[in-house]
Amino acid sequence: MSDTDRPTVLVPLEVLEGESLPEGTPRLLANAHVVLLGYHVIPGQTATEQAREQFGERAMKKLEEFATTLTTAGATVDTRLVFTHEAQTTIDRIIYEHDCLAVLVPNGTEGLSSVLVAVRGTVGLERTARLVGGLFADTDVEVVLYHILGEDESEDDAETLLEGATGRLVDQGMDADAVETLIERPETPIDAIARHAEDHGAVVMGETDPSVTTYVFGMPSEQVAERFLGPVLVVQRERPASDEAA
Amino acid sequence: MVDPAPSPEDVPEPQAEHDADAGEGELERTIGLVGGLAIGIGTMIGAGIFVFPGLAAENAGPAAALSFAIGAVIALLVALPASELATAMPRSGGGYFFISRGLGTGPGAIVGLGLWLGLVFASAFYLVGLGSYAGQVFTEAGFALPISPAVPLGVAFGVGLTVLSLFGTENTAALQNAIVVVLLAILTLFLGYGSLDALGVFGAESTPEQFFPPGGLLPVLQTAALVFTSYLGFAQIATVAGDIKQPSRNLPLAMVGSVILVGVFYVVTIFVATSAFGSARLGEFGETAMVEVAREFVGLPGALAILFAGLLATFSSANASILSASRAVYAVSRDDLIPEAASRINLKYGTPHVALGLAGGPIVVLTATGQVELLAEVASFLHLVMYGLICVALIQLRREGPDWYTPSFRCPAGFAVAGVGALASFGLIAFMQPASIVIGILIMVASYGWYRYYATDVELKGDF
Repeated sequence: MSDTDRPTVLVPLEVLEGESLPEGTPRLLANAHVVLLGYHVIPGQTATEQAREQFGERAMKKLEEFATTLTTAGATVDTRLVFTHEAQTTIDRIIYEHDCLAVLVPNGTEGLSSVLVAVRGTVGLERTARLVGGLFADTDVEVVLYHILGEDESEDDAETLLEGATGRLVDQGMDADAVETLIERPETPIDAIARHAEDHGAVVMGETDPSVTTYVFGMPSEQVAERFLGPVLVVQRERPASDEAA
Repeated sequence: MVDPAPSPEDVPEPQAEHDADAGEGELERTIGLVGGLAIGIGTMIGAGIFVFPGLAAENAGPAAALSFAIGAVIALLVALPASELATAMPRSGGGYFFISRGLGTGPGAIVGLGLWLGLVFASAFYLVGLGSYAGQVFTEAGFALPISPAVPLGVAFGVGLTVLSLFGTENTAALQNAIVVVLLAILTLFLGYGSLDALGVFGAESTPEQFFPPGGLLPVLQTAALVFTSYLGFAQIATVAGDIKQPSRNLPLAMVGSVILVGVFYVVTIFVATSAFGSARLGEFGETAMVEVAREFVGLPGALAILFAGLLATFSSANASILSASRAVYAVSRDDLIPEAASRINLKYGTPHVALGLAGGPIVVLTATGQVELLAEVASFLHLVMYGLICVALIQLRREGPDWYTPSFRCPAGFAVAGVGALASFGLIAFMQPASIVIGILIMVASYGWYRYYATDVELKGDF
């Protein structure tokens, strides 16, 4: 696989807080181009320079260890280390600068025989397919496409959607036999995704637009990650070309 | 690695959103224009409006407005050269960094240690002001206290703020922004109403007393020297230059903008205050004179609003100055002018505990003296020395034109502005009380002596 086809995945680690590369991550991302972001959040009363001077070398050494582990497993890696007052600002900037397809919520996983992919609709489907196909096309990992029915959505519509999604994965090199589909109408979508996730090694789901609900309860991807305790790959929306934060 | 280590000519890259350093990591820039303005305004406005009006009017009468205007002009003359230097060297440390790199280690040491102590004096001054306002709360609530509670309360706040900055994960930026917005809203309402009233819109025009005080221009200049403490905050913006996004645009705008804005507020404040009461009467009210002015105009609700605003403003000034003092300690320690241990960070809390202690300890001691005017003047003295040398550094760097000096903002009429700025900064010192001048000179001599004893082999000129 050539490097340009590899899906770019951001792995953010709070490296000085003892966060390390979780078990199973090298295998999960063996076919990815990993952007390994080590970050350290510093309170407002401390200059970022001051922290870098004292901890920079140590953090960089750890980060390079992790990078070697990922490279050995087959991934290509870019390493970034950032000292920041606001973690989210940094993560957003790095996503933008590296045009990351997905962000990994770094949790450990033991087996990786199958992956649950939550498909919401046609929007962003192409990016999800590129990620899933890129990561798992040449592996023996099975993919389960999972769709939760909307209020006035018929089962036929959903089947058409998932057939289309399967087609895209096959276009990306997946074996059609390795793709299954699952359609449900559960009461609470997040619980349902987390419950199904337990039968799989990882979850792939889309980014959600920030709203009052996400402000109060947190992003759905975070909620799933908290309950599932396994790795969640959050597919990012395409960033507009001139997204210059003022 | 994605980003190669920056080559020397790339260092002042103006649009860089972060400092790339492949060897040890990048630094995220997180403060925008609004945040920069909030730092400047939040640090400055506490003193000029909420502590000085009574003292200034007592000394200079209505012409105290002129004293504040003189201060604003001097501050602007320094803010422009400082902006140019900050865009050429957008690094933490501010004025100390410019002077040590532009003029060499000796002047750098005087300014660096002087800046630390200058901020220590300024913080103590703000804390006494904060204590006065906190004491006024008791008065408003009807408690008669046997002794003035200003100093003990100031000391308590000093200890509290130091401990908070040691262990708390402060979201300083968001807090500062909110405080400044609330303050500006209250002040705009109050000063707007007061000005209209003083001009006779709501009744008889108040007869202003004679503009100049009996002594003529001299008391006005002396008052300008005293109240210059109200303008120290703009340089605090340069001390966080390393955290500011798009520094070439935001640094000059934030520094110049905050000086102009607070200058206008100060002048209007004096106008309103002196039209409400005679100068002598204002002087009797002391640090919390503005509460009485507000009571005169809008009764108890006004007094309470200004009391609340005064608490917020002096609190935010004191907090910002303590943090700046700790950053000043870090800046000189990084350059080996004082032992490296002073800039150690506690990994658990992420705070520079030694530097914060070196700031907080002396601040508490000085607050206990309760000498408002002396504290203010020594703080101004040490800052004015730095401001004058900032101007000298600009002239020196423009003449030498070293390769690394590529500011993205150029001060208009640079030599003239910096020349007049330097003369005005040093000149204003001459109008201070002898005691303040003596203490200031002793601190400078001691700083230079320390440099000769401890750091003669440190070469900082042009060092990046």
